[in-house]
Amino acid sequence: MSSQRERDRARSDNAADLDTARAGGSVQEAAAPAITVEGLRKQFGDGADAVTAVDDISFRVEPGSVVGLLGPNGAGKTTTIKCLLGMIVPDAGSVSVAGVDVLANPRAAYRHVDAMLEGARNDYWRLTVRENLRYFATIGGVKPDDVAGRHDTLLDQLDLAAEADTAVRDLSRGMKQKVSLASVLATDADVVFLDEPTLGLDVESSLTLRRELRRIVGERGLTALVTSHDMDVIEDVCDRVIIVNDGRVVADDAVDSLLGGLDAQGIRVASPDLEGAPLRAVRDQFEVRAVRHQGNHTSVEVTTGSDGFYELVALLRAHDVTVSSVDTIESDLESAFLEVTRE
Amino acid sequence: MTDSVDDKTGHGTNDRRADGGRQAASEAGRRPADEGTGGRGDGPRSAGLVDLTLAVLKREYLIFVRYPADAVGGIVVSLLFFALLFYGGRAFAGQALTDSIEGLVVGYFLWTLSVGAYSSVANDIGSEVQWGTLERHFMTPFGFAPVAFAKGVAKVVRSFLLSGITLAAMLVITDTTLQVPVVTVVVVAGLSILSVLGLGFAAGGLSVLYKRIGSWLGLLQFGFPVLVAAPAFELGWTRFLPLAQGSSLLQRAMVEGTRVWEFPPAELATLVGVAVVYVAGGYAVFHYTTRRARRLGVLGDY
Repeated sequence: MSSQRERDRARSDNAADLDTARAGGSVQEAAAPAITVEGLRKQFGDGADAVTAVDDISFRVEPGSVVGLLGPNGAGKTTTIKCLLGMIVPDAGSVSVAGVDVLANPRAAYRHVDAMLEGARNDYWRLTVRENLRYFATIGGVKPDDVAGRHDTLLDQLDLAAEADTAVRDLSRGMKQKVSLASVLATDADVVFLDEPTLGLDVESSLTLRRELRRIVGERGLTALVTSHDMDVIEDVCDRVIIVNDGRVVADDAVDSLLGGLDAQGIRVASPDLEGAPLRAVRDQFEVRAVRHQGNHTSVEVTTGSDGFYELVALLRAHDVTVSSVDTIESDLESAFLEVTRE
Repeated sequence: MTDSVDDKTGHGTNDRRADGGRQAASEAGRRPADEGTGGRGDGPRSAGLVDLTLAVLKREYLIFVRYPADAVGGIVVSLLFFALLFYGGRAFAGQALTDSIEGLVVGYFLWTLSVGAYSSVANDIGSEVQWGTLERHFMTPFGFAPVAFAKGVAKVVRSFLLSGITLAAMLVITDTTLQVPVVTVVVVAGLSILSVLGLGFAAGGLSVLYKRIGSWLGLLQFGFPVLVAAPAFELGWTRFLPLAQGSSLLQRAMVEGTRVWEFPPAELATLVGVAVVYVAGGYAVFHYTTRRARRLGVLGDY
């Protein structure tokens, strides 16, 4: 995973925000939540065919934070987001954005909100990049001339300046995705919903997009709710993760806490001598996750922290095992996600 | 058309960031990002309905000039169909057709105008669903209906332009002279197709709810010639249907040279009333279907 270095770099720009967010800092506690969801419920269909897509979901998102919404397919993510945007009317519960009740007063709420829901299909491909930004800024309720400077900055940041006057249809998939994001950020919204913002992008484009996304969101002090199936994206971009499963929130914590709380750190040792008695000794003393035989080498993965590393090395030395390689296995969000959704 | 969405400057809550500099920017009544917008010192001004309409018209114009093949193709097909009607009709009906050629030209002009407005509004909503842009027009501080209406107006303007070209070509083909009192034609034809616009909104709303029903809704267009031709018979109750009253008045304006202020007030009132009722009805259907789509969770699906 490339995530840690990328995240550190991206976060350095707005460390104050993130430190406060992670610590649940006092400054943000003083501000009203950017998003408040209380007791949200939505059922589709009736009788035996009824499907409860969202079942009593509640959470808050503080201003200036970036929150990931994760869940397996059919968990209720999209329904939740569409309820937050007023595009699906919930059966029960309330949603407010920037203190405005979305269902009771949607037009006022939409002054604060924009969303990227369809990835690359979120703007007009027959218009140029700049024309899209101006058009959607107007639709979003601001005079486009007044945000022209912001649009220039945005085009520079997303490396789209050279293509500003190119029709979107003539751009690559990755560029189209960037235009989609730019057109969402072209408005004066302070809360943005980003559904799979890097879907379909190659690794390099995805890395660039998530780095710039993090930077822009930090610089403008935006609040963002992001869904993605790519755990690296969530890990890189978000401060906090809400995991939903079967329409309910099953975990809601800071990314670092989720990773820290996961007992998934381990060590992988490979050796030509790791058979028989030495392997039994390792099994007796450690929790062995996996044993793999490759050629004349045996690779063993054990769950342990840094303290266990020295014990493992001592044990192997006591059995005259020649170690050919040692790797640490870092816990990642994917493991945390799988663990939480399995429970 | 001078309404504007509420002023956003200094909406406060979300400007209170953890960062001290941003806090200061907020206290000064501007958003942090505005520091890079030229140093005006205040936030961006809110766009009004005029801005919205201009933006929608500009988008329509840009697509029209950038991709003229669609528009030119529509005009060519329309003229070929008319030529077939004219020359075929003359071969079979001879003098009878020649005697009524002005009525045919005016009727055809109104028909192309109404088909252009109806199909573009109805199809546009379906296209927006497929492009993934419908939701963005829904999530606007203007409200969905004003945006949809502005887009409808843009389509009407486009239809006027294309039908105007078609009309000129028809006059050349038939070697006919008609009066074109611009104000009267725009008012009467405009009010006539407002009723069709209402049908277009209803059709668009139904397509948001029931998805791929465009071909069924398209069948409605085949009823338009009957409505346009209604004045050829006794109007009677048909005057309360879309297009019929407008067609009657437009014939008189373009063939006899009657100006809009010369029409009996009752006839003008019928024209206006029909336009208002059908637009309001179309809007009501649009509102109901989009609300129903939100309840069913199918808004934006396709």
